[in-house]
Amino acid sequence: MSDEPRDATPAAASESGADVSDGFAARLSRFRERESSTVLITIVGVLVFPFIFNNLLNGYTQLATLMLIWGIFAVGFDILLGYTGLLSFGHAVFWGGAAYAAGIFSASVSSQPLLVLLAGTVFAVLLAWVVGFLSLRRGGIYFAILTLTFGQMAFYLAASPLAFLTNGENGFTSVTIAPLLGVIDLHGGVPFPLSIAVDNMLYVFVAVVTVLSVAMANRILHSPYGIVFRAIRENERRAEFVGLHVWRYKLMAFIISAAFAGIAGSLFAIEGNYVPLGSLYWTESGAIVIMTVLGGVGSLFGPLFGAGLYLYIENIVSGFETLGSFWHLILGIVFVVAVVVFPDGIWGGIEYLRDKVTGGDES
Amino acid sequence: MTLLQTEQLTKQFGGLTAVDEVDMEIEQGEGVSLIGPNGAGKSTLINLVTRRLEPSYGDVSFKGESIVGMDPHEVVQQGMSKSFQTASVFPELSVKENATIAALAAEHGSFRVNFFRHRNSYPAVEELTNDVLRSVGLYGERETQADSLDYGNKRRLELGIALAAEPDMLLMDEPTAGMSPDETQSTVELIKRVKDELDLTFLLVEHDMEIVFDISDRIVVLNRGSVISTGTPEEVQNDPAVQEAYLGGVEE
Repeated sequence: MSDEPRDATPAAASESGADVSDGFAARLSRFRERESSTVLITIVGVLVFPFIFNNLLNGYTQLATLMLIWGIFAVGFDILLGYTGLLSFGHAVFWGGAAYAAGIFSASVSSQPLLVLLAGTVFAVLLAWVVGFLSLRRGGIYFAILTLTFGQMAFYLAASPLAFLTNGENGFTSVTIAPLLGVIDLHGGVPFPLSIAVDNMLYVFVAVVTVLSVAMANRILHSPYGIVFRAIRENERRAEFVGLHVWRYKLMAFIISAAFAGIAGSLFAIEGNYVPLGSLYWTESGAIVIMTVLGGVGSLFGPLFGAGLYLYIENIVSGFETLGSFWHLILGIVFVVAVVVFPDGIWGGIEYLRDKVTGGDES
Repeated sequence: MTLLQTEQLTKQFGGLTAVDEVDMEIEQGEGVSLIGPNGAGKSTLINLVTRRLEPSYGDVSFKGESIVGMDPHEVVQQGMSKSFQTASVFPELSVKENATIAALAAEHGSFRVNFFRHRNSYPAVEELTNDVLRSVGLYGERETQADSLDYGNKRRLELGIALAAEPDMLLMDEPTAGMSPDETQSTVELIKRVKDELDLTFLLVEHDMEIVFDISDRIVVLNRGSVISTGTPEEVQNDPAVQEAYLGGVEE
């Protein structure tokens, strides 16, 4: 009892004069909690990224664009894997499916980029409704196998029975993309103020979609959905016994993650003007799992880094003179080291270092 | 008003009849304890009531409506909440988030499509969460990760989650199992207090007879799946059938 006044005084003081007396760590953590900060960080990130990537890391803008596209896919996938705790091994069906839907839509309905993006995303959402409805009947490994099965079924469907639509093994080559809003040529250059940062309009378009996607994911994770998803991951039975319809929330997580895969897949078709059959192959489902785990499951930004690092090794390291031909091996080693040293992925490592520096022990 | 009623409720596992044609009624506001020797069928009966097990035959009704065939979450939405035998919490979430999950389900139902608003804009959920945390005495630890609470507090949180679901009736399966005497005492006080404050009906399964006699309005004694006695603590204590079932009586 006698300790109370002494303890209470500094606490009360720091509450009243929060702006003055707080340390750097506390201010940093408050900044991070604001929604607008997340959006701001993402905007700065996508603006600075191509400059650093092109000048310091042997990169090129087309690869930077691809990294953001896969990054959107990974951010959405993490909502399912990291936050809800469901491992899908068939997300290529939404990525490739949306790419085909977007490509076919662009060739036969409208080639407006925004409509193409919408068509691919809506297709992925509807498909996820069906696939999720059937796959989520079972949990754990059975769920993973069921999604894998649906993925492979889609691959074979696109390869031959639906070849009249998809152009089979050659991939869909008739993607046509009109100028954005009728005036901005996506494959052209950029006007002055932006040209300091980037040299390509397509990158700007993808970057804007990336920022919106990250903002959307951030909002979902800070909405009741986010907390319910984590509850399901932590203790599914308890979630059921507080009165939540767990199955419907799982389906929702599945559909949301597929929507992100759909956005990314549509951008992939727009970016490459082409949809390869390989976009439906199961290795793409594996790649998104690796990217997400590598970046850090259960974090918002981690998967973006995971996608970037994966594609960097696949495209840049593979071009190195002697090491290049071993890029698969290098990817494996990086993955093992990352998972062993930082079980929470690259992002977990970054957070660990940040806490060391700021001395903060908050999450 | 009768809140919970079982009629001819029976559960057979193969040749074993774990619960045998049990008829039981619990009135609004009543605190009832279910006791009986090991293997008497107490947990099975609780699991039948909370819909974790399907009855072989017989019926369970809550607020006059049969709940057989309902999913567990639907039963909770009807107003019957359960506190688990082990401290079943959401380990990596904060204490506050743990309670928020149940409060969300209580305020917004089992599923909502339009749930995308920022979670700070649900004041009713926030208020319910804070009320519950205050009443179980964990408000000061609301930012602590549930996993790092000690066992007694974890059980309090578990009870808090069950209360945040805003139940009319609370089922508790050995809420003091594994607790130190101090923790047990404070949990018993807690249960008594919330019963008075919220006019809560409860059904308690408990081995500790001191606790049972302390907090029950009525006791139901189960042996080999059947109800062998029911009544006030004094009546049950003096029932020869009960003394026989416990081989030497309830007083140790």
